[in-house]
Amino acid sequence: MNEIMSGLINVLSIWNLLALAVGMILGLFVGSMPGLSATMAIAILLPLTFGMDPATGITMLTSLYMGAMYGGSILAILVRTPGTPAAAATVMDGYKMTERGQAGKALGISLISSLVGGIVSGIVLLTVAPLLGKLALSIGAVELFAIAVLGLTIIASLAAGSVIKGLLAGSMGLLISFIGMDPITGTPRFTFGSIYLFDGISFVIALIGLFSIPQALKLVEKDKEVIKASKIKDKMLPSWQEIKALKGTLTRSSVIGVFTGLIPGTGGDTASWFSYNEAKRFSKQKNKFGTGHTEGLAAPEAANNAVVGGALIPTITLGVPGSSTTAVLLGGLMIHGIMPGPTLMTEHAEVTYTLLWAVLFSSIFLFVLGLLYTRLAVGVTKIPGKVLAPIIVLLCVIGTFAVNNSMVDVFIMFAFGIVGYFIDKLNIPVAPLVVGMILGMMLDTSLHQSLLIGDGSWLIFLQNPISAILLFIALISIFQSTPLFDKFIQLYNKRLRQDSK
Amino acid sequence: MLKVGLLKKSVGLFFLALILVLAACGNTEETSNAEGSNEESSDGGGEYPTKPIEVLIGFDPGGGSDQLAQLTQPYLKDYLGGSFANEYKPGASGGIAWTSIAQQTENDGYTITITPSPQVVTNYLINSELQYTLDDFDPIANVVTDPAVIVVPSDSEFDTYEDFAKYLEENPKGLNVSHSGVGGDDFFSLLRWKRQTDLDVEMVPYDGDGPSWQAAAGGDVDASFNNLGVVFSQIKEGNLKALALMSEERNEMLPDVPTLKELGVDVVAGSSRGYSAPKGIPEEAKQKLYEAFEKLSEDEEFKEQLKEVALPLDVKVGEEYADYLKQEEEVSSEIWEEVKHEYE
Repeated sequence: MNEIMSGLINVLSIWNLLALAVGMILGLFVGSMPGLSATMAIAILLPLTFGMDPATGITMLTSLYMGAMYGGSILAILVRTPGTPAAAATVMDGYKMTERGQAGKALGISLISSLVGGIVSGIVLLTVAPLLGKLALSIGAVELFAIAVLGLTIIASLAAGSVIKGLLAGSMGLLISFIGMDPITGTPRFTFGSIYLFDGISFVIALIGLFSIPQALKLVEKDKEVIKASKIKDKMLPSWQEIKALKGTLTRSSVIGVFTGLIPGTGGDTASWFSYNEAKRFSKQKNKFGTGHTEGLAAPEAANNAVVGGALIPTITLGVPGSSTTAVLLGGLMIHGIMPGPTLMTEHAEVTYTLLWAVLFSSIFLFVLGLLYTRLAVGVTKIPGKVLAPIIVLLCVIGTFAVNNSMVDVFIMFAFGIVGYFIDKLNIPVAPLVVGMILGMMLDTSLHQSLLIGDGSWLIFLQNPISAILLFIALISIFQSTPLFDKFIQLYNKRLRQDSK
Repeated sequence: MLKVGLLKKSVGLFFLALILVLAACGNTEETSNAEGSNEESSDGGGEYPTKPIEVLIGFDPGGGSDQLAQLTQPYLKDYLGGSFANEYKPGASGGIAWTSIAQQTENDGYTITITPSPQVVTNYLINSELQYTLDDFDPIANVVTDPAVIVVPSDSEFDTYEDFAKYLEENPKGLNVSHSGVGGDDFFSLLRWKRQTDLDVEMVPYDGDGPSWQAAAGGDVDASFNNLGVVFSQIKEGNLKALALMSEERNEMLPDVPTLKELGVDVVAGSSRGYSAPKGIPEEAKQKLYEAFEKLSEDEEFKEQLKEVALPLDVKVGEEYADYLKQEEEVSSEIWEEVKHEYE
């Protein structure tokens, strides 16, 4: 209890509050730029924090992480170019709202949802982190495989219109994720002997190409049309009524965010799709998803900010990074001479609890500074398409190069851009492709590991209770999206009516 | 219209300011380090180093190689009277950075790289596509060696290495053992141990040291071949039990854990990290670098800092480091030839 209070007092010092503000502004900025990610910004800023007190340095970096999670959504909503992979799901309903002339409202809902997600994850961190930490360890290869399978069933609900096209895009995504060295045998696959493909296609790079380049081309194409978004007449902050209507979605998505963050190896990108899918599953207006529905926007936004706290749980209780961003953060702690591991909660309690409070306070900074930053960023939509398009392309090139300092990556990004443009023209949805890419690697590795552990028997997936339940839910999800399900419901309803007669 | 123009301008200015802030942050280290070198060069004429030394790191920031860079450079900078600029070029398990050292960078002593072994040699032994070998390098110095260690879950039925070995004698291939990935240091430690003892286990690869010990701690596998520096805090906290260490001597931080050598298994293995330069750098630069590392090995403050992160100091300078890498190459290539067919 003492540590919790001293952490609170620490956070409230002038320097730490300043660190929160600086981190937040930087986070909002790098988040909103395609290609610049929180992971990268933290890596760049690490040397700068060496001169600071460890607690102050870490506070700044955490605030940056939180800011980037929201920042990624700004351009995703305004011009359909997600700034971070975690904001890809935001495009689905966010950009549709902008097209309808509700850009202001969309940004407001996204900000409120991020705030809720951040606060929920902050509270979870402060209260039950040590309990949940152990849970992260118990998720092994078998459970991961089941999670990946369940995740793939999301494709069904994302295949707006044509199931065939959705499945096609999903399989393309899976195939792309198999490029590179086989994680189990080390054999290079689909690399054509090029060492630049050994590590596979970086997800961020593919995403920049798939979303931003086609959007730039489209902006040029319809330059003459007046973009409706340029007139933001509606109020940014949603009314209390509107927020209350989203209560269920926000709570569910925050919980999904915390748990997805908790699982090592999954982060904001996975969480946002999961929560989008669940929001749709539980919604009364399923067919409105993908057309600019507020629930479809609030779900991924709450989830990707809730991930921050979730990902920090195994990080501080065990020294296991819950996402790639927290992995860099851990590296930073090591350089500060703090050994990541279970001792963080005991030996370095002061730093750790400052960090925990920082998560909570950064949500509040996010709200205030996010509101200001968003008002500025809205100016982007006032830039004519023929000016904005080259700027987007330029940002894509810089952002892509910065990921690995590699020109080859820039060419790969453009290749994805061209593919993205044409699959868009062919009305093939991009979302299933993205989901396939996120989950492909996880599916492949965990399947092979599970089979090695289970001596080659597929029964291992049913013997494990968690995986059996998840696979069962996946089965229901698949069934739900087939025409058979509707028939079944009709029959059931008929029965009911007959019975009541 | 005026208002729109103003807004646009302010947005532009805002972004510009942020970009400048970011750029400034990225460069801070470089500029602050460069101050030291100015004095040196002004009175020493053309003495090495007259400009920042670029360190090519073949892995992501925050990884083991980056950690070594960040730990050593504050000291090396003073001993060399120069400065460092780190460049990260991740890809192909370091292969992209090392290929560029071998083929592209100038051997003027102003570009060096971090070489973790055995990865730096096993990488090209396993992937024939990689176009570099040890002969393309002038090894400068090894700095740390993180010994390999066998760990089991805290609730494991095995309390000692003898229990573990006895069980495997009675049940060949009866246990699942995780390692950090095919071609990694733990993969080769495991193979070396298998060869020495004639025991067999089911080898389960994971993506790195972290996921590998987590699989053991979570009970997914029965044991993990890992590195002491990685799992030390987990052992201390009781999440894992250490059965045996693969170093020459016992470690002072874990005095109760025996080495494989004293148990009669002659395997000494681990993961080393040091610095290397492209072949044929100027003699003056080489000597200066050797000297800096010799001094580093004596630095009490540096030793203290390594202790905090549980990394054992193991400085081998010049020829000694080159011989060590050569030996690693021989052993690894022999082992790889034996098991190669299973991975093709």
